[in-house]
Amino acid sequence: MNLLNATTRYYLLLALLVFVGGSLGLYYGINWALRTEVGEQLADRRQELLAKARANELPPVDQLAVLLDISRTPRPLGFRDTILLDRTENELVPHRQLTFPLTVRGEGPVWVSLRKSLVEAEDLLGVVSALMLSVLALLLGGMVVLNRWLSARLWAPFRHTLAALRQYDLQQHRPLALPAPPVAEFAELNQALNGFSQRLVADYESLREFTANAAHETQTPLAIMQAQLEQLLQVPALAEDPAVAPLVADLYGATLRLSRLHQALSLLSKIENRQFAQAQPVRLDQLLAEKMAQLEPLFEARELRYGLDSSLPVVVQMHPGLADSLLQNLLQNAVKHNVRGGQLAVYLSNAELKVTNSGPAVEGDPARFFERFRKHNAASESPGLGLSIVQQICGYYGFGVAYSVAEEGTCHTLRVVLKPGAEALPQNAEISLVATE
Amino acid sequence: MKILLVEDEAALRTALLASLKQAGYLAEAAADYAQAHEKIMLYQYDCILLDLTLPDGSGLDLLRALKAGGSPTGVLIITARDALDDKIAGLDLGADDYLIKPFHLSELNARVRAIIRRRQFNGQQQIVFRDLLVLPELAEVHVRGELITLTRKEYDLLLYLLANPGRVLTKEAIAEHLCGDAVDAADSFDFIYTHLKNLRKKLQEKGADNYIRTMYGVGYKLSHE
Repeated sequence: MNLLNATTRYYLLLALLVFVGGSLGLYYGINWALRTEVGEQLADRRQELLAKARANELPPVDQLAVLLDISRTPRPLGFRDTILLDRTENELVPHRQLTFPLTVRGEGPVWVSLRKSLVEAEDLLGVVSALMLSVLALLLGGMVVLNRWLSARLWAPFRHTLAALRQYDLQQHRPLALPAPPVAEFAELNQALNGFSQRLVADYESLREFTANAAHETQTPLAIMQAQLEQLLQVPALAEDPAVAPLVADLYGATLRLSRLHQALSLLSKIENRQFAQAQPVRLDQLLAEKMAQLEPLFEARELRYGLDSSLPVVVQMHPGLADSLLQNLLQNAVKHNVRGGQLAVYLSNAELKVTNSGPAVEGDPARFFERFRKHNAASESPGLGLSIVQQICGYYGFGVAYSVAEEGTCHTLRVVLKPGAEALPQNAEISLVATE
Repeated sequence: MKILLVEDEAALRTALLASLKQAGYLAEAAADYAQAHEKIMLYQYDCILLDLTLPDGSGLDLLRALKAGGSPTGVLIITARDALDDKIAGLDLGADDYLIKPFHLSELNARVRAIIRRRQFNGQQQIVFRDLLVLPELAEVHVRGELITLTRKEYDLLLYLLANPGRVLTKEAIAEHLCGDAVDAADSFDFIYTHLKNLRKKLQEKGADNYIRTMYGVGYKLSHE
């Protein structure tokens, strides 16, 4: 329900109440006025008759009875409503009646009933009420229409602001430049939003700078540590004590791990801050073939049987660095969780990238495999950021990523949907595997 | 071989200089843009190791100045910033290669060796080490005049060792060199061991015995004696 409908609904509710109240008030008001008028006319007639009686100008009762309803027996006095049959129209008609005693000289008291039909009054009431109500209805309808038209016009700046907000992209590093519409509230809103977006851009910039600086400042000491440790390993004195060199080597290895962890974390934060704006066409098939060739020694070390099925050129719009990272992490994951002599199959089409590997059954909720610092094996030296990076990159480019397991938990598949809705993969696509020596 | 190292971090500069001198280069260092600019204008170097982020200027400007003078000097960019744009800009400006900090000193040696080799046009297209003769143009390896056949990985490994003679090479550095960067240290180093074993055997068959020494718990070393 939009704001316009909501306000119109309340308008109509109010209008209905006013309508009903107004109609009732009008009806009873006019009714009361007419009855009073009829009553006054009857009273006037009574005054007139009484005055004539006092002046002894009245004709005898017999003559009078032709004109008036006269009774010699007492009747209840005062005003009352009664219904009489109208002979000309042959229907019952409501009348107002006034009964009073009258003394005609020489004939004793008689009771006179004066009557006046209320039909004219009712007709009048109907006409006036109908007229008033139709004016009221016209007024209300007009108000609703006017309101809708005005609202559509008045809310135009708001809609413009909303469209601008929807299209707003922090990556462009430009604050919102919303105009100042004539309506004060919208001008204020736009002003507030402009200020807000300026702060946002400034904050984003400083965050970006912070990340970049932090990465730089951490990387440099790490580089120094690594270089100095490597130099330390060259010192001839190390050879004299066989226990020392492995210590330095362990230190060196730990520095490398720290450095990799730092790289992975700064990559994750950069993706989260959406700092990889410049997407370009990447030949995923070529990159994949390159990566497979590069990791061949690892496959060999694990005696894996591996295969790659990507006959078509696959072009994806993404940052080349992220494409590299995505494939590297997927393949490394497939090697890391593999078993000696196991299998690794990679399938790539325009629609999806699928990496299947054999490996021991894993416990736990598959959805949690993508969490940061999630380790399959607690003793592993890997920090467990690989799949998290995969998920972040996929999320960044709107690719779907899913894990599935088959064959009693020993065949694991990670599927990256590059184009949702594109032609599906034949489920049992056989990929010929090459055995390493 | 004269090498200029442009690096603003003193500690890193010291380590790199020591490593380059050990590798037999005449290495000089410049700590900032001004120093570096003066040196490249005055002297001729075979290779320049260039940090892109300097306190008083951009390494890219130095590269521009160098290439504007038509210098044949090879340039290896070393940078902590893994921004793709800087690397691409550097390579577009005529840099030969790049390394991202932190890197292995042995990898640096191998890259510098490759750059200098590519830039030497008159003869010298061979590497001689004790009884070994390698012709990089033909990818041929001879031991005492006899040709030996190596797999691609074994050949790469031998070249890497030859770029760092007498130097202890950590297994991590070798793994990264053979498998590209970001090879997880947690993954086994078995494959290096396998390749090294095969390489050793092939060298040994032709009488080049005990060239590659194992440094227990650390890595390997191409021995001079």
